[in-house]
Amino acid sequence: MNNAIEVENLTKYYPTARSEQGVLAVDHINFMVKQGEIFGFLGPNGAGKTTTQRMLTTLLTPTEGRILINGHDLARDSYPAKRQIGLVPEESNVYTELTAWDNLMFTASLYRVPRHEREKRAQELLETFGLYEKRNEKAENFSKGMRRRLSIAMAIIHKPSLLFLDEPTPGLDAQSIHAIWELIRRMNSEGTTIFMTTHQIEEANQLCERVAIISHGKIAAIDTPEKLKANFRRVQSVEVAFDNPLPEKIQGLTSLPGVTVQVKVGDKIRLYTEDPSMLLPQIVHYAEVNEMRIVSLNTLGPSLEDVFLEITGKQVGIVTNESLEKKPTRRGMKGGRQ
Amino acid sequence: MNIERIKNELAQAWTVAVKDVRVYYLRPGMIMFGFLMPFFMFFSFSVRRELGAAEGLARLLAMTVFFTAGAAGPFIIPTERRIGTYDRLLAAPMALLTLLLGKTLVGAFFAIAVSGVALLAGLLFFHSTIIQPGLLVAGIILGAFSFSTLGLAFGSMPTTNPGDVQMPSTLLRWGLLFISGVFIPLNEMSPIARSIAYISPLTYAQDIMSHAVMGKGLINPWLDLTILLASGILFLWPSIKLHQRARVLGR
Repeated sequence: MNNAIEVENLTKYYPTARSEQGVLAVDHINFMVKQGEIFGFLGPNGAGKTTTQRMLTTLLTPTEGRILINGHDLARDSYPAKRQIGLVPEESNVYTELTAWDNLMFTASLYRVPRHEREKRAQELLETFGLYEKRNEKAENFSKGMRRRLSIAMAIIHKPSLLFLDEPTPGLDAQSIHAIWELIRRMNSEGTTIFMTTHQIEEANQLCERVAIISHGKIAAIDTPEKLKANFRRVQSVEVAFDNPLPEKIQGLTSLPGVTVQVKVGDKIRLYTEDPSMLLPQIVHYAEVNEMRIVSLNTLGPSLEDVFLEITGKQVGIVTNESLEKKPTRRGMKGGRQ
Repeated sequence: MNIERIKNELAQAWTVAVKDVRVYYLRPGMIMFGFLMPFFMFFSFSVRRELGAAEGLARLLAMTVFFTAGAAGPFIIPTERRIGTYDRLLAAPMALLTLLLGKTLVGAFFAIAVSGVALLAGLLFFHSTIIQPGLLVAGIILGAFSFSTLGLAFGSMPTTNPGDVQMPSTLLRWGLLFISGVFIPLNEMSPIARSIAYISPLTYAQDIMSHAVMGKGLINPWLDLTILLASGILFLWPSIKLHQRARVLGR
């Protein structure tokens, strides 16, 4: 079986006014995506995610390297590869002056979907995405979530075997996010390979069979989410919630033996440690001594977010024992772990 | 490239053109630069000049085709780049030339439609007659093609701001107006000015309109048509190069 994507030594320099070679955005990366896989491409802003995806979809010319899409070399003959690709860019690029129906008819015609199938597929997709009732409304009247759904429908009307999604869900409400996740899973179960770039770690954790983490233009790690987490056991933590958390007493938790970092996560305190089993009784004792009632107490393995932050060079958590002496401990960090 | 692929590419060019007609023809940028400007220019340069009806119509038609055909590219492509819809076209399974052909048709159709309005106005208000209708049709079509690809060359510049393109494009078109025998007939120009005029494709469009409306021109009409066709093809070359450059620059 062919790989859906094979990337060898892919490199991109953006030319600048000062030099033709310019700024390095992607630095000799290698990876492959198997057919039928959901592959996540993670990285912080400016790491090279979108640049890589634009090269994979022929929108950007690589400076160096080779890309094979379903066995077709993009540099030599991109036509057969383009027929098999669907692209959902970060911005929902629908034609707002056209109705939802006309947007789909236009894309179907552009991809030469046989005339007798166009209307059938458009109807199916509009029903799937909950847009059928709005099919004759111009997209300028659509909400962000509706435009996103229409944009995805336009990208898959020709039934691509490989779908590229660039940041599929940022800024959407929870209902739209779950609808899109469900659609991605369903398309994948029907055989479509999914390549998605995202900086939403939980999204990758929920959907992807394998992820690559790109940092400063280089692939820093590539594996299944669980294997990546297993390699980062040192970022285990204990999460505790109290019903009467006094700030000065919460600060004191950082001084418990084995605590490396303390982070406030909503109404909970997350204490990073290499040995949660040793820390648990100490937290209970600390609560007793300080007359604090524990509402919940959980041990947590490393999340994909922890792995991501470790790999991309950002320290897990914000407050360390050392910094606690100089700064207040309250500093938010998004939760979201399994 | 096999016959099936060619049929597909032509159908895709048509699809792009029809979509653009529906999306952009009524946009203010198109109406301003494509529809109103040639009429404003015509009236501002024709008022208080003793122009015959036929001469006035020939001039109006040449200006209309010239301005209108060249308005689409500089407006539509940067706009689509800005809102991201151009990526959809670039990623679609079609040759770059197909996309450019589709975009050329948009400007050309616009020019042909607005020329129809100008022609109607000329026939109704100036009471002109057309001496060679076949030549007129051929001149409008080939002129529309040539000037549309000229506009496309500007629109292909790697920018997301239509203003970056419309300014130099308009400046060039104004410049061409003055050296192309539209305001000063070719036979009244000095030899040096006339040799410069022969560089401009507008000269040949103006000449073919004169042949069609007045029955007289300075250049062989077949040469006029050939040069309009050739210049239209030639102007595609910078568009292709600029698109390739945009793919390197990432714009």
